[in-house]
Amino acid sequence: MGKSPTTKDDAQALFHSLRSAYSATPTNLKIIDLYVVFAVFTALIQVVYMAVVGSFPFNSFLSGVLSCVGTAVLAVCLRIQVNKENKEFKDLPPERAFADFVLCNLVLHLVIMNFLG
Amino acid sequence: MLLFAICLRRRLTLQCSKPQQNYSVTPKPPTLEPEVETMANFSIATVFIASFSLLLSLTHSFSIENPTDRRILVLLDDLALKSSHSIFFNSLQARGFELDFKLSDDPKIALQRYGQHLYDGLILFAPATERFGGSLDLAAILDFVDSGKDLIVAADENASDLIRSIAAECGVDFDEDPSAVVIDHGSYAVSETEGDHTLIAADDFIRSDVLLGSAKIEAPVLFKGIGHSLNPSNSLVLKVLSASPSAYSANPKSKLSTPPSLSGSSISLVSVVQARNNARVLFSGSLDLFSNKFFKSPVQKAGSSNKYAKSGNQQFVTELSKWVFHERGHLKAVNVKHHRVGETDEPSIYRINDDLEYLVEIYEWSGSNWEPYVADDVQVQFYMMSPYVLKTMSTDKKGLYHASFKVPDVYGVFQFKVEYQRLGYTSLSLAKQIPVRPFRHNEYERFIPTAFPYYGASFSTMAGFFIFSFVYLHSKVYLQ
Repeated sequence: MGKSPTTKDDAQALFHSLRSAYSATPTNLKIIDLYVVFAVFTALIQVVYMAVVGSFPFNSFLSGVLSCVGTAVLAVCLRIQVNKENKEFKDLPPERAFADFVLCNLVLHLVIMNFLG
Repeated sequence: MLLFAICLRRRLTLQCSKPQQNYSVTPKPPTLEPEVETMANFSIATVFIASFSLLLSLTHSFSIENPTDRRILVLLDDLALKSSHSIFFNSLQARGFELDFKLSDDPKIALQRYGQHLYDGLILFAPATERFGGSLDLAAILDFVDSGKDLIVAADENASDLIRSIAAECGVDFDEDPSAVVIDHGSYAVSETEGDHTLIAADDFIRSDVLLGSAKIEAPVLFKGIGHSLNPSNSLVLKVLSASPSAYSANPKSKLSTPPSLSGSSISLVSVVQARNNARVLFSGSLDLFSNKFFKSPVQKAGSSNKYAKSGNQQFVTELSKWVFHERGHLKAVNVKHHRVGETDEPSIYRINDDLEYLVEIYEWSGSNWEPYVADDVQVQFYMMSPYVLKTMSTDKKGLYHASFKVPDVYGVFQFKVEYQRLGYTSLSLAKQIPVRPFRHNEYERFIPTAFPYYGASFSTMAGFFIFSFVYLHSKVYLQ
């Protein structure tokens, strides 16, 4: 058929190429991605809950959202530092990156527990 | 006190005259040295004056505890009024008032001396007086009312400008035409002599038991004089006796060229003013309303077949004068108390969402003592810029009013306000300030139920973090 490619075809082609590229990533990066998705999902649930109920204990809302978003940010940082294709962090040992991740999370959760009320 | 003074004098006299005592043939009267004599006289005089004035002030003055007036100054145009209105004056004296009759141009009239008021009430039965004698003038009379004292003013068809201006200052506007009187061809009093229908029989009374007493006035009231009108937006004046819708105010001797300015039931024949300081003023357009002749005469209203042997004037005037001189309808509110439910002493600050109770005692003066006031519409407000709580108080019929409510969820400085204004009663205005604080940090609930999802999310993030780090570290082992 000589039909010009429709947008639907384009979208499908894009989706397939993304999927195949993604399956090529190393496993540990996929684990980190899963963790980030979990954290963001939890944050979204909390925001929807606050929109429904109202922001009465605002400090609790903030601390809940901050814990999710903060840990997601830290996981993203870990992914950047651990990714072998990243030229910037070539000399950084991945264990050091993981140790940083753990320490920052500990500080984050300490702050969260205090602010939760 | 007097006996003591007399004994003191005799003792002083005897002491000083001992050396001279000699009972010879002619007993000399005891004499004193001149200085001792003046000193003795002076001390006796001061004791005498002190005791007299003390006695006087205790029994005869108007005070907060005894609000019925006692001393009344009656200013008359003509001393014949004393006898032609004697039933009214005698009834006042029988109720315990001291009447001081003076002619209106007597130069010795004074309402105040050295800042003290000499009288508790003033009756002006002097409609034609242009100027009062002594120190009395429009400003002095208004000052008298402003200080909380009561006034009765009667005008008639020759009312002077002074009387009209006194009335105008109090919100009562007499008809400006000096020759106009109230004429009513519809409800005049049937009589053999008066043919121009200026003697009217009025029975349109205000409906208030406080003002006119609980007994209904059956017979109409005879009235002959001028009418006045009240500004309808003035909330302090009340029309006690209005003219019938067929009345109008005009000169009976001349033909009407223009429609009369005052007509119908907007003409008020007798009205009262209760000022914001609870002074009461009565304005009547007819001096004859108070006269013996009208009290005793029979009355028949034109158009009705009821003939009454006695007009309603005496009952009307007596009941109204009881109200004007504070024998009825005078309230006082005492003993404002508030406390938390379950405690007895008054805290200096409340917390939001506290339960509290407010108590006040209200009494009504019955002419001789304070009776408990019973009503079901006294309200208390918990007020800060606007009333957050407005509650009707319940009474135990002995004068105690109480209300309990929950402090609202707003903190700040509130006031307990009771604003009670009812027709014919003195107005009560009480305000008591009380601060309200928010919760202290340890007075909140430990775990707020609305925030459970946030607690859950934080803990689940922590758990997720542990699981993730465990999985990540061992991923080479498990997921190779």
